[in-house]
Amino acid sequence: MKVTGEALLHAPVERVWESLLDPAVLVRTIPGCERLVSTDEHSYDMTVTAGVASIKGTYAGTCLLSDLADHQSLVMRLDGAGAPGTIAATVDVGFADLGDGTTRLTYDADAVVGGMVGGVGQRMLTSVSRRMAGEFFGNIDQVLTGIVPMTSAEVAGPQAALAAPGQVFTAPRAAPGAGPSPDFLRGIAVGAGLVLVGVVAGAVLGRRR
Amino acid sequence: VTTQLFGSRVARVEDQRFLRGQGRYADDLANDAQTLHAAVLRSPHAHARIVGINVDDVLDLEGVHLVWTNDDLAGAMAEPLPLLIPHPTLTHGRTQYALARDEVNYAGEAIAFVVADDRYVAEDAVGRIRVDYETLPPVVGLDAARAAATLVHEDVPDNVGARMEQSNGDAPAAIAAAPHQLSLDLTIERSSCQPLEGRGVVARWDPDVGRLTVWTSTQTATGVRAAVAAKLGLDLARVDVIAPDIGGGFGVKINHPWPEELLVPMAARALGRPVKYIEDRREHFISTAHERGQQHHVEVGFDDAGRLLGLDVRFWHDHGAYTPYGLIVPIITSTQLLGPYKPDAYRVVFDSLYTNTVMVTPYRGAGRPQGCFVMERTMDAIADHLGLDRTTVRAANFIQPDEFPFDQGLIFQDGRELEYDSGDYPAALEKLKALIGWDEFEQFRAEMAEQGRRVGIGLACYVEGTGVGPYEGAHVQIETSGKVKVATGLTTQGQGHQTAFAQIAADELGVRFEDVEITTGDTRRMPYAVGTFASRAAVMSGSAIHLAAKAAREKALRIAADALEASVDDLEIVDGVVSVRGTDASIDLGTVAVLSNPLRYAFDKASQAATQFSVGDPGRPPVAEDDEPGLEARDFYSPERSTFASGMHAVIVETDPDTAEITILKYAVVHDCGRLINPLIVEGQIHGGVAQGVGGALFERMAYDESGQLLNASFMDFLMPYVTEVPESIDIDHLETPSPLNPLGIKGAGEAGVIPSAAVFAAAIEDAEGLPITAMPISPSELFELRLRAQEES
Repeated sequence: MKVTGEALLHAPVERVWESLLDPAVLVRTIPGCERLVSTDEHSYDMTVTAGVASIKGTYAGTCLLSDLADHQSLVMRLDGAGAPGTIAATVDVGFADLGDGTTRLTYDADAVVGGMVGGVGQRMLTSVSRRMAGEFFGNIDQVLTGIVPMTSAEVAGPQAALAAPGQVFTAPRAAPGAGPSPDFLRGIAVGAGLVLVGVVAGAVLGRRR
Repeated sequence: VTTQLFGSRVARVEDQRFLRGQGRYADDLANDAQTLHAAVLRSPHAHARIVGINVDDVLDLEGVHLVWTNDDLAGAMAEPLPLLIPHPTLTHGRTQYALARDEVNYAGEAIAFVVADDRYVAEDAVGRIRVDYETLPPVVGLDAARAAATLVHEDVPDNVGARMEQSNGDAPAAIAAAPHQLSLDLTIERSSCQPLEGRGVVARWDPDVGRLTVWTSTQTATGVRAAVAAKLGLDLARVDVIAPDIGGGFGVKINHPWPEELLVPMAARALGRPVKYIEDRREHFISTAHERGQQHHVEVGFDDAGRLLGLDVRFWHDHGAYTPYGLIVPIITSTQLLGPYKPDAYRVVFDSLYTNTVMVTPYRGAGRPQGCFVMERTMDAIADHLGLDRTTVRAANFIQPDEFPFDQGLIFQDGRELEYDSGDYPAALEKLKALIGWDEFEQFRAEMAEQGRRVGIGLACYVEGTGVGPYEGAHVQIETSGKVKVATGLTTQGQGHQTAFAQIAADELGVRFEDVEITTGDTRRMPYAVGTFASRAAVMSGSAIHLAAKAAREKALRIAADALEASVDDLEIVDGVVSVRGTDASIDLGTVAVLSNPLRYAFDKASQAATQFSVGDPGRPPVAEDDEPGLEARDFYSPERSTFASGMHAVIVETDPDTAEITILKYAVVHDCGRLINPLIVEGQIHGGVAQGVGGALFERMAYDESGQLLNASFMDFLMPYVTEVPESIDIDHLETPSPLNPLGIKGAGEAGVIPSAAVFAAAIEDAEGLPITAMPISPSELFELRLRAQEES
């Protein structure tokens, strides 16, 4: 299935670019992401708990960023598998500096969703994925605008400017009363890879005629 | 005198049990703590190589008793599943393994099998199995299969499993020489039959006697028995297969053995405990079978009267990932397409193509709905072209009553000639026109138009080959109680066999209807049988029961004649009592049964009459050389060829000018299945068939995405008609043209109701809208799109 969309982020393109390449940001902004292990530069193993409608489960997957054209575009390749299903996606992400301190991010995803999530969950994918993408970009925007402070304490293991292979990133626990609970987030999550990217949104996925 | 039961509207005796919740379906069996439960890991991908399977996380899970992958299968179990119906033109037949080896070819294919304390644990265990896949490009849909840019099976060129051609005369030449020619492209989408109860298997291995008992929700108990014995390396005599109550079959359960039908018995034997597998709905959608998906191209040549001079049909059949059931469906389309008509020349060529989707096996109608759609759309197109009434064109092409038996010059699905045994199509058409009000319709249309309402009428005719061989058998036993036990080997999925077969047996034996008990689908009682499909049960088992009952009656009369010192010719049997006509001399059939079995030991008062000091001629052996003890008989019915039922449907629909919603105003059926055993049951079959046909014509389809995922694999997404979508009443008229091929003159009726649905609705919608309808099913949205496109073009 093909999924395209865009989002407006309140930061210059350089900061948006850095944020999306920063595993410490990703791990706390991708809904349902519990753990991110850097395996190589711009390459991660991920653990995500997500659900589509009643189909919930934990997915193990990989995320590889490639074809990096600084502040312009990158390609994200995702693979995920869990008991409820599988995902494989290639996402072309484009960045456009609007010159007024904001950045327009566009994405074009080609995803294959398999197993129970693909079959039974498809009816829910459209509406849930819209919500999820909105949440992901909202989270990113909050980091960019400083509403949510980033602290180095959230990075387990040795501090490094760039993520080193084997370095583990975990999502912070939400403070009581501060925003939606992780369970809530999981409850509305889209599905393994969709959540892995966090950018899959707004497209009509169902093919009912 | 006992009233004749054959032909009367006897209420179904089985319904009391079903309606009171006393049915015993697969999941009702073996409900004890001893029983273990199975679950299956299924491929999430439509096409992938299996790189590795890791079951480590399952091994230590508490409550798990067994986990198998292909590596755990040996001997015959490690071979692909049987190709049940080979055919010379099926040059590239392929079947799956019980558990996938190296490659999966549809999303839903079985990969691993787990047995645990309960289904919850089994499902959890399935979730812990890790499979590494290398995904391959999938082939989804007929366009992709025909383009063959990618292949389903590497060793099957162009995705073509089979190419078959049949012809009668030189169709292309006849078309070229004809005064008029037309060509049409016609499509039917994939659907599936969705019995309320999915597949279910329970197996129990008795280690004390070394015997396996399998209960399975199947349409062929003997078929499963043979497959289980062969695959598990057991003597046939050590395997019993029983089809318990079955919550619907509709064709999908004739395919066998399903992987679970082998794995469950194998696990029961390995573990020494009963094992049960009950398919869930999603599994039914993605791992049983579908049908119907075909594309057709028609070239036709005809004269000024609409007479078919040449008909040339090319079609493409989507058989999914594997071909266990051979070419039955496309062969039926290619032959039954002819319906009640007799083109001067006919040629048909089909390709049976692989796709990375669930495999295709017969679904009620089995290729006939597609064939009927193609032929009837062609008839309507000819009528439109010539400006003739649609019934006139059909009448001009009918085989006439005096032309039977009529040989269509082709070979049918059973390998026999396509020779129609009997029928009266002109009479049926007259009945149908009267029933639907064909001649009055234009007036009705005008009245509706005045109210701003849009209506259309359509009709469709079909011929259905029923009662295909090779045979069925029956065993009839009259017990010393006078009760009659009848067993036939084919299975029952709601056809009312307990009623209809008892009517036949009671009539022949002269016993009370309520004294007859019918057993079906139990290999312990009748080990020789074929199965329930192709509208064959009444014809095949009905005839066999008639023959066996006749033999039992003859024996009863012979013994009674001895006992009553009368001539057989003077005896009659009424309500289970044999009497000498015109006298008081009589003997109960139960007593005759006692006398039929010479005894040494008496066990009750009745049996004293059969002991050695009571009966028999001291000068002769107690059981004569050519006789057997017991009042029972067994006989088989094996016809030379199928018997051909026929029928015609007509419908009046209303289409909403704004929303394109399609409403059924009137539905009429004329049906000829030869002599009726029980009109009530036949009408029930028609009602059910029409309901299923409405679903197929207006609602149901398999929504595969381009990666081969079935997106509507649930009852929330796969639309089936509710009672609100089915016609409130169906007007039915019967014609009874007896079949000369069997002793009762009967023909099959099970599939008839569903065959003309796509054709008849397409015709009526086309008539209402004035737009060509060339693809079915059709939804309001699609009709709306057709309107928009027509507006744009004009």
